[in-house]
Amino acid sequence: MKARRIVVTSGKGGVGKTTTTANLGAALAQGGKRVILVDADIGLRNLDLVLGVEKRIVFDLVEVVEGRCQLRQALVRDKRFGENLAILPAAQTRDKTAVSEEQFAGIVRGLAEMCDYVIIDSPAGIEHGFRNAVAGAAEAIVVTTPEVSAIRDADRVIAKLQDRKLPMRLIVNRVRPEMVRAGEMMSVDDVCDILSAELLGIVPDDPEVIDTTNRGIPLVLDPTQRLGAIYIKIARRLEGEIIPFTQLGGGGFFSRLFEALRAG
Amino acid sequence: METQRLAAESVEAAPLPEAPQAPAAQADSQPKTRGRAIVVTSGKGGVGKTTTTANVGIALAARGARVVLIDADVGLRNLDLVLGLESRVRYHLLDVLEGRAELDDALIRDKRVPTLWLLAAAQNREKDDVETAAVQALIERLREAYDYVIVDSPAGIEMGFKNAIAGADEAIVVCTPEVAAVRDVDRVVGLLGNRVDVKLVVNRIRPALVRKGKMLSVDDVNSILRLPLLGVLGDAPDVIVATNRGEPVALDENAPIGAAYRAIAARIAGEDVPAPAAPDEPAGFLEKLGSLFGGRR
Amino acid sequence: MIRGKAGGLEIVFSGRPFADAYEELLTRLREGASFYRGTQATVSFDRTPSADDLQRVAIALGGAGIAWDGAYALEEATSPAALGRPSAERSVQLSDAAKSLVADFAGARSDLKQRRHRGPRRKIEAASLVALAERPAPPSAEPNVLYHRGTLRGGQSLANVGHVVIVGDVNPGAELVAGGDILVFGALRGVAHAGAQGDRSARVYALALEPTQLRIATTIAAGMERTGLLVPEEAFLDGDRITIVAAGDIPHVRSRAENL
Repeated sequence: MKARRIVVTSGKGGVGKTTTTANLGAALAQGGKRVILVDADIGLRNLDLVLGVEKRIVFDLVEVVEGRCQLRQALVRDKRFGENLAILPAAQTRDKTAVSEEQFAGIVRGLAEMCDYVIIDSPAGIEHGFRNAVAGAAEAIVVTTPEVSAIRDADRVIAKLQDRKLPMRLIVNRVRPEMVRAGEMMSVDDVCDILSAELLGIVPDDPEVIDTTNRGIPLVLDPTQRLGAIYIKIARRLEGEIIPFTQLGGGGFFSRLFEALRAG
Repeated sequence: METQRLAAESVEAAPLPEAPQAPAAQADSQPKTRGRAIVVTSGKGGVGKTTTTANVGIALAARGARVVLIDADVGLRNLDLVLGLESRVRYHLLDVLEGRAELDDALIRDKRVPTLWLLAAAQNREKDDVETAAVQALIERLREAYDYVIVDSPAGIEMGFKNAIAGADEAIVVCTPEVAAVRDVDRVVGLLGNRVDVKLVVNRIRPALVRKGKMLSVDDVNSILRLPLLGVLGDAPDVIVATNRGEPVALDENAPIGAAYRAIAARIAGEDVPAPAAPDEPAGFLEKLGSLFGGRR
Repeated sequence: MIRGKAGGLEIVFSGRPFADAYEELLTRLREGASFYRGTQATVSFDRTPSADDLQRVAIALGGAGIAWDGAYALEEATSPAALGRPSAERSVQLSDAAKSLVADFAGARSDLKQRRHRGPRRKIEAASLVALAERPAPPSAEPNVLYHRGTLRGGQSLANVGHVVIVGDVNPGAELVAGGDILVFGALRGVAHAGAQGDRSARVYALALEPTQLRIATTIAAGMERTGLLVPEEAFLDGDRITIVAAGDIPHVRSRAENL
């Protein structure tokens, strides 16, 4: 069983990588795929929190690398999805230098034998942790918000992914349609133009999402959350279905951003 | 220590050179004391470190202090964008550290508030390229000439973070009311250790959601972190607009969040600024702000 | 029955029924009064005594101020098959046996919530509660204690072959590992592993017991929601289940409180 190996990254922190990894994984699992999520943020692990499995962690990725347990023993299954969703947690008391790129890639290849999708949650930045996260991947999802600093960082990350010849698609997160209409926020079209990226998903901003994240409840499990349906659509697009995008807000153009990116 | 406030008229009149001038001799100027070195950090990305650095920095400068801001996010620089200075960046931190540029050439002076300077990060380099000892030496040098040296740390706890905290003896940790952010800040506070004086800014609070039990309260956050509270900022769309325009919201007299940043700056400067009156807050919320310099460690 | 040896005492139970030996021990200890206080003793039996018997001996020794250095069952020993001797292994990592026991694909076994016993729902008899509360330090524990004042933050960890005492909080993401007991004079919110070398009699105490995960020897219990109440509690293994007792449920503690 050779899985698709996808890294979710962004450059800028806080744009929704972990939330995207967790919810995309949950949506795929709910759809019948076997999914293993990998938290590459050693020392600042959060994927287990967002999925609500923190209290069941016994072993972590570093202990697998250091040979103190088997890979299978370190996986924590999310029982809400039957056999379909598990996570390989990061270590909390170590830092990213504990694992090399080769070791990380080896782990990901090992996981790819056990499932349909390996989805790797990358840490913020483009340092050692990012390089580890990308090491085992064959494709990438870049997450950005429609803000200048996020887009600038995404641009930098996309360049690095292109260096490694990784095909990538874009998710634009936290779109506020009313602000786009008022000309106070970039439109999704603007973002895609600037980054020259193929769009995988558009996720609107919803402050109530924070609560479900805090409680460790994937959105697809909460019927009151409309964002759950959006992640299901993204999962289906990932599987190859053509699903049109719900357009949020009109067009707009921020010339200043163009200048900034050209200069920087 | 704060210098005398410059009269607004003299700022507009003369053309401003890029390099910082020697402090003008003034009859009532205080004896030179070493400036304060503060790092703004969080662990978690996207909680508002850069926005806080920019706004608190510009607010301190607007009060007359000489402030230099350093963007330590090598490779993913953003402080220049938030300040609207990105088009004026010629040299950056690594140019100075590696001897390709003089510090005075690299420092960009803000035209709106002339006691504010920026040292931008390099965009096309890696954080591993920076040597910790060199950063420390630079900050020491800057402390001789400036009242505040404020370093904007990158996210994470890797080399970039370690370089950013080198040389600082104070820290402002920025935290949003989310479990993941609290955990990351806690980790960072543990790494900062006892030699650094740490204070907390809670960002993006939505009182309505806190009341409904759909968001952590400041108390929830600080019951784990146990830090002296420097300020609480609401979640305001003004900030996104301001960032996109490169106009720090702390300069906006009409934005309530601008006032909040200015209050934080005042508290850093040693003023005992009480929490602002907010008509739609329940009394409990304000009481929770409590003593802003007390708090528990 | 009580012999002096280099390094401590040897108490010989072998050669006669337990009950007789026990009575004599009590008599000797009463006569000796404070003579034995501060010494260490090993106890030798014919065969492995029951847990109750061991406990009784332990209480007796504890009451006389004698530290228990180990117990041996001669009949079953080809080598000194010591009962509760500290292992020569200095590491406080989970032993391989412990790890393979606890790690399964489905994660941790029992939820802490189900292990709480309060008030009338308690199954443990009051009498044995007193005995449990007054159980002396596990014989396998080194006498050393790692004492730390200050809050342990996420990502930090402390480990000791003996006991661990923290005056402060243990935040989520922090980790304590002890061969002996763990005592937190504050809120325990991280991961605590007592009896990490396999000592099933190890205990965890906290002013607010709210761990993400609790481990005693090879048993793991997953954490529970915060109650927000400051109720000092103690966790220990009862059989193969982690059990939690509120300090106020222990009869002699409660009666003392009433007498105040």
